[in-house]
Amino acid sequence: MKLKNMKDKYSPVLCFIIKLVLGITFIYASYHKIADPAGFARILYGYAIFPNFSINFLAITVPFLELVAGFSLIFGLFSRSALLIINALLMGFIFLIGFNLIRGHEFDCGCFVFSSHDKIVSNIFLLIRDILFLLSGIYLLRKIKAQ
Amino acid sequence: MIGKDLKGIFFLLFFSLIIAFSYNHFSACGLALSGRWEPSKGVVSARSKTDDVNAAIQINNPEIIQQIVQDKKRIVLDVRPRELYNQGHLPGALSFPLMEFDQKIIQILDSISRQSALLVYCSSVKCTDSHIVAQRLISLGYDNVKVFSGGFGQWQEKGYEIEKYEG
Repeated sequence: MKLKNMKDKYSPVLCFIIKLVLGITFIYASYHKIADPAGFARILYGYAIFPNFSINFLAITVPFLELVAGFSLIFGLFSRSALLIINALLMGFIFLIGFNLIRGHEFDCGCFVFSSHDKIVSNIFLLIRDILFLLSGIYLLRKIKAQ
Repeated sequence: MIGKDLKGIFFLLFFSLIIAFSYNHFSACGLALSGRWEPSKGVVSARSKTDDVNAAIQINNPEIIQQIVQDKKRIVLDVRPRELYNQGHLPGALSFPLMEFDQKIIQILDSISRQSALLVYCSSVKCTDSHIVAQRLISLGYDNVKVFSGGFGQWQEKGYEIEKYEG
């Protein structure tokens, strides 16, 4: 009973923190991609997964989808929809990083700053980080539904 | 709830697309709607408004490059970092790292005339350094500059002769 009360008491605070962290992360992640779309397009090409015709379209649109979803989540405008988009993007990132790690394909994730050095360890770290973000996103989605 | 979520998703997607394509249209670093991502056609590029890649000066056929190198028809410049050059480079190539452009250009200005035929290469079709150097050389008046798009990577793949720095 006491534990349930504590959960109820701290749940809104936790939800607020997750919203803020996910929102700011996505806004920040979009910044470098918007500033250098050609660099981001090369990163997408480097993943060796996307069909050539789709690379420019993704490089133009994905950063703005991250930006809009991030702001929307923080400011509570269509926050469930924004969260669904963020979770879908996170699932996409997890697939991309995981798939390339498994097949041993060297790549630069391009998540925040475009780096010139590809390191397996840092990509494993990114994979773990994205999984944690996704778990937080799923938790938040359940809570927003409950509200 | 699901209907509302879907409406929200469509609204956010639509809004994102509108601002993405508007920004791309007006931005100085905007991209063309389709890039040049076919390695057989040269250095890959998103074809942005500030694109360094000039398809017109590329040579994509490594056999032609081999002939040029054999016959010493062009002065060959390796624009990769010096450590990579030392590990192996095209026979007769001079080290001309992009990072040291300003120092290197002073050295070659006296020894290489503006009319000389130059060939520039870097690591592979993913690398634009060769095009950056080529554009800078062209802007300095070297009007006969070509880029080997496949770079050292393709040269090595083909099993052609590699020279190592014996310094």
